[in-house]
Amino acid sequence: MSQQTIGLTATAAKPASKPASGDLVPRLICGIVILALWEGVVRMFAPAYVAKPTTVAMVIPKVIVDPQFLSATGYTLVAVAEGLAIALVVGIVIGLLMGRSPAIERVIRHYVNGFYALPMIVVLPLFSLWFGYTSGARLATIVFAAVFSIIMNVADGARAVPKEYLEVAASFRSTRARMLAEIVLPAATPYLLAGFRLAAGRALIGAVVAEFFLSVGGLGYFILFNSRTYHHNEAFVGVLLLAAFGVGFELLVVWATRRFMPWYRRDEK
Amino acid sequence: MTAILRRNAPFWISIACGIALWEIAGRSTSAAFMVPFSATMLRLWQLIVSDQFVEQFFDSARLFLTGFVIALIVGAPLGLLLARVRPLRVGIEPYIMTLYATPMVALIPFILSLMGFGFAPKVLVVFLFAVFPVLYNTVEGARSIKPELIEVAKSYRSSEWALWRDVMLPYTLPYTMTGVRQSIGRALVGMVAAEFFLSSTGLGQLIMGASQNFDTGGVFASIFVIGVIGVLLMRLGLMIEQHFARWRQ
Repeated sequence: MSQQTIGLTATAAKPASKPASGDLVPRLICGIVILALWEGVVRMFAPAYVAKPTTVAMVIPKVIVDPQFLSATGYTLVAVAEGLAIALVVGIVIGLLMGRSPAIERVIRHYVNGFYALPMIVVLPLFSLWFGYTSGARLATIVFAAVFSIIMNVADGARAVPKEYLEVAASFRSTRARMLAEIVLPAATPYLLAGFRLAAGRALIGAVVAEFFLSVGGLGYFILFNSRTYHHNEAFVGVLLLAAFGVGFELLVVWATRRFMPWYRRDEK
Repeated sequence: MTAILRRNAPFWISIACGIALWEIAGRSTSAAFMVPFSATMLRLWQLIVSDQFVEQFFDSARLFLTGFVIALIVGAPLGLLLARVRPLRVGIEPYIMTLYATPMVALIPFILSLMGFGFAPKVLVVFLFAVFPVLYNTVEGARSIKPELIEVAKSYRSSEWALWRDVMLPYTLPYTMTGVRQSIGRALVGMVAAEFFLSSTGLGQLIMGASQNFDTGGVFASIFVIGVIGVLLMRLGLMIEQHFARWRQ
């Protein structure tokens, strides 16, 4: 009996991943237990400045109208958006070329894989030498963090385009450039979105790390500065916002996939 | 032999072109900006000979392995437990998802001010980076177990232990290994982040030190080494994943 319910809800929950109304109660209970544990442990063992749920909740109204916090959020978001836009354009172009041209793929595949495997943080000292301790170095880090997962996914998508589509287009004397833009790219969009989802998460990490390292104004620097001056509660509001962005990107991509590509199942990652 | 050579020829040609490009770019710009391949290798050799490098390498490896193994020991069993105990899973899953999507680097300043500069806080950073992919993928795998499998096992009066050993574990292992592959990459990022922002040790310190001394050759040499380690670890992760995924296809 109970096994049956496992099976039913697992299949029902998968495509939507929306909470069924019956799930809400255990979720709330778990949330309350986690918060209570956190509160209790901090109260008993940690110094007073350490962030705990009650004090974080108390400073939220103050922090979210703080102009410093708002401008820091703005800087980081704009930088991430710019970086993702650059990474998307570059990634789509290189990815399409790589997916459709075996020669290009053979030449650059190992470099794309290699740079993808390189922990993006290690380029920070190099970028700080190249661009100085500026927001330019942050932008470069974000682009570097994001672009390779887009290239890899777009290339995979471009490779998976059904041959018939291209044959039909070719027999109607379509040019290669038009085939890339009007057939391969749309067909590769689900892959592009999957790549974008990865890239967005990596870009966010890249931005925060760059701000730590370069001391460039933004949400990461806001967290660093406040935690250094023992304003842990204020700093933690920044972490909450970052988590919200992370989840937000994730939900955005899931929503876009379902809205614009209802035929595409995202189970296969 | 020649067949192997011919098959791998594009790879070697592509690598050779890359090195040539690097060399030319390095020679035609200032040394503070970029260092040619030959000078990078020379610097790397100097670092290896001077013993600094080997010591730092093992320092990093110790950090990486400790954090990663703890993440595995915690993540995989917890994932299985969550999969079997449905209310717990339903309750806790959204929070795991949230933590999975949160940039963990943002917690480093808190860890620094609470735990200071020792080895433990750095292990914690690597652990936090690595644990969620294992946990998330194990839960994902366990909840995709076909209910018929469990029903059949139950109707043959399988004990709880046998159910875990013969149904749950083999079924979820490939998923866990996907998580392991992702975790390897993340743990490497966590390792470098911990070495940058907590007490400077290991390969991270090597890069930081070189960058602060404007020793661009040293920066390139360390990045090159970490890149090679990253590629090798990713290969290893893929091999592990494919090894366990064989029967799934």
